[in-house]
Amino acid sequence: MKIKTWITQVVLGVLVLTIPGYAKEIKLLNVSYDPTRELYQAFNKEFAAYWKQKTGDTVVINQSHGGAGKQARAVIDGLEADVVTLALAYDIDAIAEKAKLFPKTWQSRLPNNSSPYTSTIVFLVRKGNPKQIKDWNDLIKPGVSIITPNPKTSGGARWNYLAAWAFALEQYKTQHPDQKDAEKSNEADAYAREFVGKIFKNVPVLDSGARGSTTTFVQREIGDVFLSWENEAFLAVKEFGADKFEIVIPSLSILAEPPVTVVDKVVDRRGTREVAQAYLEFLYTEKGQEIAAKHFYRPRLESVAKKYAEQFPKVKMITIDEVFGGWQKAQKRHFDDGGVFDQIYGIK
Amino acid sequence: MVKVYATLIVFGVVFLSGRAFPENEPAGSTETQINEIKSLEQRIIELEQQQKILARKWEIEQQAAADKAKTVPVVTANSKDGFSLKSADGDFSLRFRGLIQADTRSVSGSSGSLADDTFTLRRIRPIFEGTLWKDIDFKIVPDFGGGSSTLQDAYLDFKFLPEFKVRAGRFKSPFGIERLQSSSDTLFNELGLPSNLTPNYDIGAAIFGDLYGGKLGYTVGVLNGAADNASIDSDVDNNKEVAARLFANPWKGEDSLLGGLGVGFASTYGIKDGTSSSTYLPTYKTIGQADLFKYASGVVSDGTQERYSPQLYYSYGSFGVLAEYITSSRKVSKAAASEKLTNKAWQVAASYVLTGEDATYKSVVPRKPVNFAEGSYGAWEAVARFGKLDIDNDTFPTYASSTSYPESATNIGAGLNWYWNRNVKWSLDYDRTSFNKGSTKGDRKNEHAVIGRVQLTF
Repeated sequence: MKIKTWITQVVLGVLVLTIPGYAKEIKLLNVSYDPTRELYQAFNKEFAAYWKQKTGDTVVINQSHGGAGKQARAVIDGLEADVVTLALAYDIDAIAEKAKLFPKTWQSRLPNNSSPYTSTIVFLVRKGNPKQIKDWNDLIKPGVSIITPNPKTSGGARWNYLAAWAFALEQYKTQHPDQKDAEKSNEADAYAREFVGKIFKNVPVLDSGARGSTTTFVQREIGDVFLSWENEAFLAVKEFGADKFEIVIPSLSILAEPPVTVVDKVVDRRGTREVAQAYLEFLYTEKGQEIAAKHFYRPRLESVAKKYAEQFPKVKMITIDEVFGGWQKAQKRHFDDGGVFDQIYGIK
Repeated sequence: MVKVYATLIVFGVVFLSGRAFPENEPAGSTETQINEIKSLEQRIIELEQQQKILARKWEIEQQAAADKAKTVPVVTANSKDGFSLKSADGDFSLRFRGLIQADTRSVSGSSGSLADDTFTLRRIRPIFEGTLWKDIDFKIVPDFGGGSSTLQDAYLDFKFLPEFKVRAGRFKSPFGIERLQSSSDTLFNELGLPSNLTPNYDIGAAIFGDLYGGKLGYTVGVLNGAADNASIDSDVDNNKEVAARLFANPWKGEDSLLGGLGVGFASTYGIKDGTSSSTYLPTYKTIGQADLFKYASGVVSDGTQERYSPQLYYSYGSFGVLAEYITSSRKVSKAAASEKLTNKAWQVAASYVLTGEDATYKSVVPRKPVNFAEGSYGAWEAVARFGKLDIDNDTFPTYASSTSYPESATNIGAGLNWYWNRNVKWSLDYDRTSFNKGSTKGDRKNEHAVIGRVQLTF
């Protein structure tokens, strides 16, 4: 008994001597897709201030960016993300399915299918639009050089691809007004396949992520048109000058809904659930939505959307559910190994 | 810029081909030239784009290769770290190291059973150590030296903070400063007399860490409780031993006379109840590894054991000194008799690196490895020590026979270490140990031990 008491006193003494010097600081890792660097830099700063004021705790948010597919793979392989904020739901589904880090119903845990902001796909062209690119049809012309990332690794590139496919279906429907549900026919599918194939024949280089493609188009001066996230296109014009680039809004695009979720097993292991949850919920607040809008992401909150309505051009947008039956189907058919994209790009 | 460039090229080509000032140029030639220029301009733009595309593709390939390299495990093989595998993020690693010590010994005058003149493999240790999940280190060290197989280290370290780590498993009890030196780093081939009073490998758990930027190190452990100069594989009784050690280097990192001064204090406290089959009592050894002292038959450890040790290591340039004083008190009993006995020992060991390298608590690293062809001969170090071990006078005659074992032993030794490189060391020591009593004729004969060693560590 005497020894046990002595041991306890010694151990407690050492703990008392060593532990108090360790200030409480919470660290989060946000694993995100390529073009959100600037958005989350601003957002993290605002959230850290909010959290400090609310709880007195210091929160440091580290960011990891890359092509959404690559980022999802990294989390599956063990990258300890507290939250993921990726370009599309399929990549987060893959984490739930393969790594089982959170339930497959993750998308119902936050409003708007866990997508706090949206975006779409536009064309970024050089000043004066030398190749006169106005719509998707102009992309398949010989001699037009198109910059887009690789759909196998980039979420943005998958949105690009599907937007082009949807346009082709729409165009087929327009060309066959007498045919009922023309856009759902095999002929329409073949037409879209050929159309998208022609687009990718005009792609000279595939980057792994959207930011890499921005570099290719803007800084390396390659290509006539960059199929870009709307926010990335605005950012390029803002950063590099309206005297160098123009944004072209196609007649039809796609509603991109980048979703977010807490990575349950990581936050529970690290004891960061409360702050991680609050972090994502803060995206839905007026402050969070303002930051998103300022970085050219379309806000969900009505009041902020109204405030920034002038900033965002009106675009006719289809959704992935209505044209492709959701991400699972689209991914399997178009982007899985041996899928349509592999066939198209393989025969380039 | 491209247009200017194109225009210059076109005019250059036209001029050199003698068409700049044609005598009989047909009508419409200006328009033709303009078209040619436009065509060349377009061609240049296309070529420029192709060049940029190729450059960008190369850039992307380089980036992809760099990204891939970040996920590829790193394999290393070098003199400092041995052979290792490390995950790209550094969170997982495995190192394979080793220690081989081949000795030649010539011992005269001792009364032990060890062969007096012999070659022996003192230590043969494959060392496996590594890291799991970044914050968990492990080490496993078996030993096949002397023809037997034993397990030395086998522990896990949980690195919560530099100031607070937890070790669990089998490891050296945090007590004697010379005992805690790595077996490959000691100044002499065999430990000095005071290490007889220190526990060796024990099993348990400890918290440890470095405070104030490494200027103060602490360890507090709870262990089964090994006897003096012994390791333990399984517990003898239900009691435990607490071992604690503080070691301070207050001027660590400073380029001053005191920069290499480290002082510490260590203590153990435990209850050890031996039995007739496991007495929990030590056997002390001479430098030549003969039996120096043993308790008599029927004597067992019977109660508390306390050890205390102020200790010091100091180095300045090529000069180093290690000093320690140890007391080990234990209650023993034999039949109805019992006594608390205190054995004491001390030593001072000094070293001087003749070739100018720094003396350290760890091995000397030669400035230039041995390369006879280039005239470099590694590092040479001279070492000397003086120490004494006193057995409590009350031990005799009830608990040990003074005609079999001495009441005290005094050791003086000197040696030479030759460091070929980080991995190979040759050493030759001479130790003379004199005894007070320990023989039916009075004092036991002096022991003269000459021990030579070649050591490979990686």
